[in-house]
Amino acid sequence: MEALSLRDDMSDKSAAAGQNSLQLIAFSIGEQTYGVEITTVREIRAWNGATPLPNTREFVRGVINLRGTIVPIFDLRARFGDGQTAPTKNHVVVVMSVGDKWVGILVDAVSDILTVNRDDIHNVPEGNAIDTELLNGIVTHDNRMVGLIDLHAVVTGAKMDG
Amino acid sequence: MTLRVLTVDDSRTILAMLHHTLSNAGFEVLQAEDGKQGLDLLKAESVDVVITDINMPVMDGIEFIKNVRATGQHNSLPILILTTETSQDKRDQGKAAGGTGWIVKPFDPEKLISVIQRVVH
Amino acid sequence: MSDLDDFKATYFDECSELLTELEEQFAAIEAGERDADRLNAVFRAIHSIKGGAGAFGFSAMVGFAHAYETLLDYVRDGRVELTDEVVSLCIRANDIVADHVNAAQSGDDLPADYGADEKARFDALARGDSAEDEEGEPIEDFDIEFTPVMVNLDAPASGEAPVEDAFEAPPMQAETGSWEIRFTPHRALYARANDPLLLFRELAALGRMQVVARLGEVPPLSDFEPFAVYCSWEITLSAPELSEAAIREVFEFVDGDCDIVIAQAGSAPFAGASFEDSPAVEAAAAVQDEPDLSSLLALTDDEMNGGPLVADLAEPVAPPEDFAPEPEAAPAGAQDAFEEAPALSFTALAEAIQPAPPPQAAKPAMPAAKALPTAGEGEEGHRSVGVQSIRVDLDKVDRVVNMVGELVITQSMLTQQMDETLRARYTELVRGLEVLAQTTRGLQDSVMAIRAQPVKSVFSRMPRLVRELASKTGKKIKLETIGENTEIDKTVIEQLSDPLTHMIRNSADHGIEDPARRLAAGKGETGTIRLSAEQAGGNILIIVEDDGAGINRERVLKLARDKGIVAPEITPTDEQIDQLIFAPGFSTAEAVSDISGRGVGMDVVLSNIKKIGGSVHVRSWTGKGTRMTLRLPLTLAVLDVMLVKVGGGPYVVPLSSIVETMQCSRANFERVPSGGRVLQVRGEYVQVIDLGQRFGLPNAVPAEEQFVVLCETEGSQKVALVVDDIIGQQQVVIKSLEENFERVDGIAGGTILGDGNVALIVDVQGLRSTHIHQNAA
Repeated sequence: MEALSLRDDMSDKSAAAGQNSLQLIAFSIGEQTYGVEITTVREIRAWNGATPLPNTREFVRGVINLRGTIVPIFDLRARFGDGQTAPTKNHVVVVMSVGDKWVGILVDAVSDILTVNRDDIHNVPEGNAIDTELLNGIVTHDNRMVGLIDLHAVVTGAKMDG
Repeated sequence: MTLRVLTVDDSRTILAMLHHTLSNAGFEVLQAEDGKQGLDLLKAESVDVVITDINMPVMDGIEFIKNVRATGQHNSLPILILTTETSQDKRDQGKAAGGTGWIVKPFDPEKLISVIQRVVH
Repeated sequence: MSDLDDFKATYFDECSELLTELEEQFAAIEAGERDADRLNAVFRAIHSIKGGAGAFGFSAMVGFAHAYETLLDYVRDGRVELTDEVVSLCIRANDIVADHVNAAQSGDDLPADYGADEKARFDALARGDSAEDEEGEPIEDFDIEFTPVMVNLDAPASGEAPVEDAFEAPPMQAETGSWEIRFTPHRALYARANDPLLLFRELAALGRMQVVARLGEVPPLSDFEPFAVYCSWEITLSAPELSEAAIREVFEFVDGDCDIVIAQAGSAPFAGASFEDSPAVEAAAAVQDEPDLSSLLALTDDEMNGGPLVADLAEPVAPPEDFAPEPEAAPAGAQDAFEEAPALSFTALAEAIQPAPPPQAAKPAMPAAKALPTAGEGEEGHRSVGVQSIRVDLDKVDRVVNMVGELVITQSMLTQQMDETLRARYTELVRGLEVLAQTTRGLQDSVMAIRAQPVKSVFSRMPRLVRELASKTGKKIKLETIGENTEIDKTVIEQLSDPLTHMIRNSADHGIEDPARRLAAGKGETGTIRLSAEQAGGNILIIVEDDGAGINRERVLKLARDKGIVAPEITPTDEQIDQLIFAPGFSTAEAVSDISGRGVGMDVVLSNIKKIGGSVHVRSWTGKGTRMTLRLPLTLAVLDVMLVKVGGGPYVVPLSSIVETMQCSRANFERVPSGGRVLQVRGEYVQVIDLGQRFGLPNAVPAEEQFVVLCETEGSQKVALVVDDIIGQQQVVIKSLEENFERVDGIAGGTILGDGNVALIVDVQGLRSTHIHQNAA
């Protein structure tokens, strides 16, 4: 299992960036690009299976063992309502800290690190309920639309109702 | 030469606070939880000054001081009594037993250091 | 965290131990054991709590604790009689002190008159106002206006240190600066290790000083007594604004051990018949230098090390028994010894009174000295010899526990790898692995024992709780505790407090009837709650039982139906109804009292217990009482399990729950009207739960090839779990699911297998309970 640890680099990069800019790690689900603040990311791993959890929603992929700690994996595609991912070794799990917990997000691929200006971030347009629920904003970078993920929203609502 | 202090008190908190203040001031600190432990420690270690509480289990401060003086080996070892008592009574008892001086609890760190310096070369 | 916070944390830790001790000691005192040791112990406990409170500035606590401490002092002295009233007063006072400590810890304030009644009673008792008239021994007015001095450990105090109030002489003419001091030390001054040289050093720092030593009293050597004092000194000291008080402060410790006369310069010239006609010796008249009296002082000081000055101390004390024997110049007759040798020359005298060798050199000569212990934490300095325990950071213990856990898994995995062929070929290897397994197991037990502590610490909070509950509900309740010395892993103990509290509250609120009802039912007025802890197999059993009215099953069932927890057509058994009190959101209290109705119910108790791998079971007898049994694992970390497969994924079932396993093709399944399945086992009908279905997983294996794992849960109820495959026994390390996720129904936690994959622990008890509410099995 490959693991990239970004933690050490991160603080330097954030320090280097100016006050008004934001550093993101961008990843893709199909044709869509999404990003999260680089400071939340702890690790990037290749997909290597997960133990499924019963009685959970379809976007909860299961749990993995991360150096002795059990970490849940969320299928981001499924979270956006686009069906379940059929992951292969080429898929990627981005391990992030959300509040005091660590969670993993299953994505197709990680693209790069972007620096965007906070002023360029727009509100999410009304219309798509899921987008409004799960995104904090939208920013354009290099002619791409990048959706900023609201991590807390992604990881809530994971249990089966009833 | 680093001065060595033996602190004798059954309260963890007091021992910790004494340790903090004294080691910051450059002393080497030894600790005991009651008079008997203090006495045992003195058999094996040499110290330059002793700070002891009065109320302790097993062997209280007064007995401890009496026993230290009775050995005959520590006649010029300054022993300071830690007391929260404002009454004269405990201090007199301590002095009668052979105590050198006293420090009132809760202790002011600067005062503690200056009292020690007053009784140690 | 600042240092002050660290000390506060230590203090609150210590307070909690002291409060527990107070509770225990007073329980014994109440039962009639009132020996001196106990009275001293409780005095010291309050004394320590008060001391720390003063240091951190918890003034409300200090005032109360001081009054309490004074009373305890008088009690242990015999000045105040320890009547039953006083004992009850003290027990109440302990609770008040505990409240103060909690308030201080959380930063809250208690009402200003909190404990005022008790404090007033303490003051009255101490003054001697008791029911009976006392013999006229006047009890001194003690100082209630005691003002604590708050300590700032971090910043050095700016300005002057407060002046001690130990002076006798009022400051006269405070501001003019020239003084004459006559100082004659007594023998006792040296006996207490005070040193005139140090006094002069301190005086010299106050101003310009001149010292003259008067040696007129020094006798010829033939009459010379090494322990007597022959010198006195006249000192002039001046500095602008030098007060007499400042000078007296220097002599504070030697007050009474010397003759001291302080006068304004010129007002009382140095007179004193004994000195006028003796040759004055000018000692060094240095301005700020130390007076060079060391040569003169050397004789009087160093030879003191030759023997104990027992005669000068208040009471002669025999030297401690096992101490090394003295050099020859020993006991209180030293004076006589020298008078017998009148004609010694100075050299001979000097040899005879050799100063004792400096302590460092003396070390090897002391037969009683033991080797220096280096055990314990380096940060805390030395601990003396003979110490029974050491303090270790819990983090360090946890690390060891974790590593041993990993070791257990690895060893388990190694054993697993041995298939039949390897076993046959490498018998030595097999044997070696078996020994490894045994040793690892032993290591694990030992390591877990390190973290194990008696449940006493949790149990000790309960008596107070019961007292409060009794008084709030107006019922009479007695608490019995058994097995407080049963040991449990420290981390489990911490989780115990809340559930136990809830269960006891439940008993007090719903179980025990009020006195009138009890009498009407033919019971004693006082209800009993019994709290016990025992080891049973690989578990700890903690039982909370009461002799109250039992669970009102009609009401419980009705409420459950109303809340939709139980479907209308289902008729639960008595035992199932009892377990309903653990259902989420359940509360039968019509008037939600502020005791048990704080928005949390028994379901929280249950989930907390489950989190630590335990289970709760309740049994009730109408009119007779209720018993709740907490079953907890002995060790948190490692679990013996059976590894199974369900829907292609790995799951584990705690071995302690498993009765037997069998193949489905052999099993005797039958359908029941409600749609579920039961299994007939030796005449018994057991509920069947298909894990694949329950967990929403596809069946990987055809039905006949599945396996049944027969489990026994609380109350000897059995349940049959259907799984795809049974792999084998394993030891696993329990890991929390909730740390990064949340609780999942039917799952008790996670484990990491030897191959690094996560396997989920099946929550057998939980599955069984929720099974009532589901139609399909």
